[in-house]
Amino acid sequence: MIGLKSTLNVIDNSGALIVECVNVLKNKVNNGWGSVGDEIVVVVQKARPVSAATQASVNAVKVRRGDVRRAVIVRTRKAVRRPDGSYVRFDDNAAILLNNKREMLGTRIGGMVSGDLRLKGWGKIVSLAPRVV
Amino acid sequence: MPYPFSKTALVPNLTLPKDAPLEKLKLGKGLMPFLQKNLYSAGKAELMHDLFSRQSPKQLRVGSIVTVLNDQAPNTFTGVLIAIRRRGPDSSITLRNILQRTGIEMQFFPNAPGVKEVKVIRPPPKGRMRRAKLYYLRDSPDKMSMLAGGKNK
Repeated sequence: MIGLKSTLNVIDNSGALIVECVNVLKNKVNNGWGSVGDEIVVVVQKARPVSAATQASVNAVKVRRGDVRRAVIVRTRKAVRRPDGSYVRFDDNAAILLNNKREMLGTRIGGMVSGDLRLKGWGKIVSLAPRVV
Repeated sequence: MPYPFSKTALVPNLTLPKDAPLEKLKLGKGLMPFLQKNLYSAGKAELMHDLFSRQSPKQLRVGSIVTVLNDQAPNTFTGVLIAIRRRGPDSSITLRNILQRTGIEMQFFPNAPGVKEVKVIRPPPKGRMRRAKLYYLRDSPDKMSMLAGGKNK
């Protein structure tokens, strides 16, 4: 249940650490809730410091504090129901940053993701993740 | 058709026991106790009784390490049993584990056709825990690791 002002950990290597949700894209209103596999718009609240070398390099897409980006929710503290009736709940909320074309900004994922992403069409993220439950 | 309100609904093949008092049941008398006894999936009634009945010697106890084997992903999930919810056919267990530095809890319903096996790997320390629900483990990872690794012998 991620909504306005919810903070999420970022588990890819895009450079952001903590982001705050600003909008859940599947809802037409601002006051809706997002769950695993939903796309959201986030503001970067905390990011890893960008050194001068990486600033010059063209390849690295490093985000800074205050950037507005899109993200997909990969773990929620609220239990999510699976089609077989079981529920999964994680200890934190986590997201992975995306660009406007639903592609990942980072190149690696550093943590576990929920298996419900596969059902919602994020197969690329599931294949990159070190652990899927 | 078996379910008159939808052509595409899947209706499970539930067979009533022969001595079911149908006239009284259709009036709603004794319906819930009847359902609690008979609404189990094929072959699961004995498994559910072994796991959840308080008289069963193989009953699940909170604080044990349990593995659940599923048909679908995740095919196996191992964890500390932190909660048992007894509701007849709807009974469920919650397992907690820490993978990749994140805690994850899964709630399984053994009566579901997707659950193949529920195995107890290790019983709780001293045979029992002093709580029915171990939600305090969410805040103390040291107690979790004591349960998970400490009682090896």
